[in-house]
Amino acid sequence: MAAPVAARALRAVPWSRSCVPAALGARRDLHATPACLKTRAARVRVGKGDKPVTYEKAHAPHYIAHRKGWLSLHTGNLAGEAGAAERTVEDVFLRKFLYGTFPGCLANEVVLKRRANLLVVCLVLVQSLAPSKLYFLIGYAETLLSHFYKCPVRLEVQTVPTKVIYKYL
Amino acid sequence: MAARRLGGSSWQQMRLLSRRWCLQAGSAGKREQNRYSSSSTALEETVENSEVTREEIVLPRRKTWDKLAVLQALASTVNRDPTAAHYMFQDDPFLMPRNTASSRLLSLSKESGRSAAKYIIKEFPQYFDKTIAEPNIPCLMPENLTPQIEGVSEAALKERIHLRRVKASVDLFDQLLQAGNPVSLETTNSLLDLLCFYGDGESAQEKQHEQKGDLEEPEGNASEQKSPKRQFQKSLNSSGSRWRENNNAERIFKIMPERNAHSYCTMIRGMVKHGAPAKAYDMFTDLLNERHKADVHTFNALITAVPYLKEKFAERWVLVKDFLNHMVQQEVQPNVLTFNAVLKTLRRCGGVGRGVSLSVIKEMNALDIEPSLATYEHLLYIFYRSAELRPSTIITEIIEEVEKKSFTPQDPDDANFFATAMQACCDLKDIKLAYRLNKSMEKGDNWKFLDMDRLNAYWSKFFSLLCMMEQIDVVLKWYKEMTPSLFYPSPRNMFDLLQALDAANHLEAIPSVWGDIKQLGFSRRQDLLEELLSLMSREQHPEETQLAFAKCAEDIKAAHEQSGRDQAPLEWTGSALGHVVMLFSRAGRTQDAWNMMEHFQKINRIPTDQVMDEFLNCAKQTNCPDEAIKLVKLAASFGLPSTLKLKSRTEQEFELSEKQKKALESIQSDSDSSDSDSDSDRD
Repeated sequence: MAAPVAARALRAVPWSRSCVPAALGARRDLHATPACLKTRAARVRVGKGDKPVTYEKAHAPHYIAHRKGWLSLHTGNLAGEAGAAERTVEDVFLRKFLYGTFPGCLANEVVLKRRANLLVVCLVLVQSLAPSKLYFLIGYAETLLSHFYKCPVRLEVQTVPTKVIYKYL
Repeated sequence: MAARRLGGSSWQQMRLLSRRWCLQAGSAGKREQNRYSSSSTALEETVENSEVTREEIVLPRRKTWDKLAVLQALASTVNRDPTAAHYMFQDDPFLMPRNTASSRLLSLSKESGRSAAKYIIKEFPQYFDKTIAEPNIPCLMPENLTPQIEGVSEAALKERIHLRRVKASVDLFDQLLQAGNPVSLETTNSLLDLLCFYGDGESAQEKQHEQKGDLEEPEGNASEQKSPKRQFQKSLNSSGSRWRENNNAERIFKIMPERNAHSYCTMIRGMVKHGAPAKAYDMFTDLLNERHKADVHTFNALITAVPYLKEKFAERWVLVKDFLNHMVQQEVQPNVLTFNAVLKTLRRCGGVGRGVSLSVIKEMNALDIEPSLATYEHLLYIFYRSAELRPSTIITEIIEEVEKKSFTPQDPDDANFFATAMQACCDLKDIKLAYRLNKSMEKGDNWKFLDMDRLNAYWSKFFSLLCMMEQIDVVLKWYKEMTPSLFYPSPRNMFDLLQALDAANHLEAIPSVWGDIKQLGFSRRQDLLEELLSLMSREQHPEETQLAFAKCAEDIKAAHEQSGRDQAPLEWTGSALGHVVMLFSRAGRTQDAWNMMEHFQKINRIPTDQVMDEFLNCAKQTNCPDEAIKLVKLAASFGLPSTLKLKSRTEQEFELSEKQKKALESIQSDSDSSDSDSDSDRD
């Protein structure tokens, strides 16, 4: 009850910034220029020097096509092609699925390549599981994803002893 | 005149050249234009011919290419990569299998991952049934295996039979009969088919459900049931279940109001499949009494059951002939499986089989039935695997037949042909036959008959034969090309390879062979290690070879000392230790050699004289008189007769300081005292 009354009261008075109680510390100044916030997309901020970071993470998105490649390759974004949004949604699902299926084994982001009907998933795994267990997960992931997306899915796996650290930030 | 001809002919020549180019690009099968050969002809001749054929322009027939022709052509340019593992494995050093056991394990784990995914898809089909592919791909959709039709009716029974639900269909059948509805003959026959196929056990899907339900109970019962009738089971059936007395199939058969030939045939085949051959024979006599006609599959099943019906070879053959006569009477045409069944029975008929099998083959040819690979396999077994290997030319004839064409699988036993044939070649020690067999395997589709296990066995035998019969460079060439991509050598193969290297005096290759042995995981096999060590230490070799050998010896020593998690540490044998000491000594590694010498006491063995001499030589070369004295002490502690000789050698060949001389003297006194004791005893 009090709020609408107060609002009406405020509207009656001509609005100026001095109305706001300055004692509360809240100021609504006039911005004459557009706000220019720092870009934070896909960047790892520099820290004390103890944070290990892979090549992928160390480079910001403006280095794509200069020092980085793409993580997902498909023709949906070309002129006249359809299905870009569907591919993106599939990519998100695939990354989450693979992150869960290979627990603690992914050394780097998953690279997805689509050639005609075929979906090639390129993984770099850490050698934390025995080879037989890895093959079990590979067979499982290939079959499940093929049945889910109704297209042949092939996993190409490369293993490294530990995560490859590019630098420490 | 000449100029005119030339001018006139130039235009024709251009046409001719273009034609000739077309010809050379095209195949040689164009009969019409054979007159134009690609070799150069004289000008006058070509002018002549072109005038003759200018009227008839024969267009070549259009070639139709297969859809996969381009891919096949490209594939033919890519040769096999000798360093890669099988295509099913990932191309990564950590994930590549190193030996047979590993490759089996990895391929099976991949397969079990696939079946885990299939289980998930079957359990939750609602997440996988969206058809987003255009056109729809049926093999990637979840299967609908729940019966749709409810209620007690014949249609419901038919559906459950179609979905292979054994228990459900039997229950439904009983319900139908109790309710008084007669079930038609056809449906009853198909129910009998289902029961006889699965032997009154459950189909694979129902087994999974059962196992999910009660995990502990079925295992114990199944194993108890299996043990008494093991022999029948192992040889006769693959499903692993037994034909129980008065099981559902028999019960339903008995209560059927009318039976036709199909019912009898199904029962016979089921009984043979699940290990009740006597009952099958009784059922056959019933069938004859009812004057029904059996079909060819029933006869095939009966012929395979003959070895279990009669014991003596002659009786078995008489029974087989009996069945064949029945076939003739009932005018049933035999097929290739019939003859394969006859030959399979003849395998177990010893000498009788050998005499008769050739006439069986002649009969087959007379009836114009193409033999399959299983036919040849049975023949090879009959003639070549018995105790007395009579030389015969059958194998040459068989290989000639196999070389001619590419076979299609017609009989489950086809897959054993190549392994048996290679075994026969090895027994006959005939390398040329083996090469021919190899070529025939690579022809057409014949390689598809060999799966991973059989492939390994086949190449293993081939490699053994190669090691025995061929020159060392040929052997090494095959070795490099075939391992590890085509097959993983067995310990026997590595043995043979070492023998071949020894025979060819090529012992410098031993360190690389040892590397391969380590990679294959055979580094804990005593016999291989003994063989390696003895070959390395038999003679003196040039300097660098000796150093390489010493490194191998060090590896072997490490292999002995490390013990795995559940493995006992490898025991040293006296000869092995001796060889290691000699190898270290020859390479000049005195300290290592001495460490090994100390092992002798631990295993209660005595080093041979040769070993101790080598050690002394080494000590002399590296100028370590201390070691020499230690050796003499060791020899004295063993009480060896050569102690004196060693002592004198040490005194002569080494420059000893005063202390060392005194130490040497003291050793002598020990041995002297023991001698004097023995002297006093004699007195």
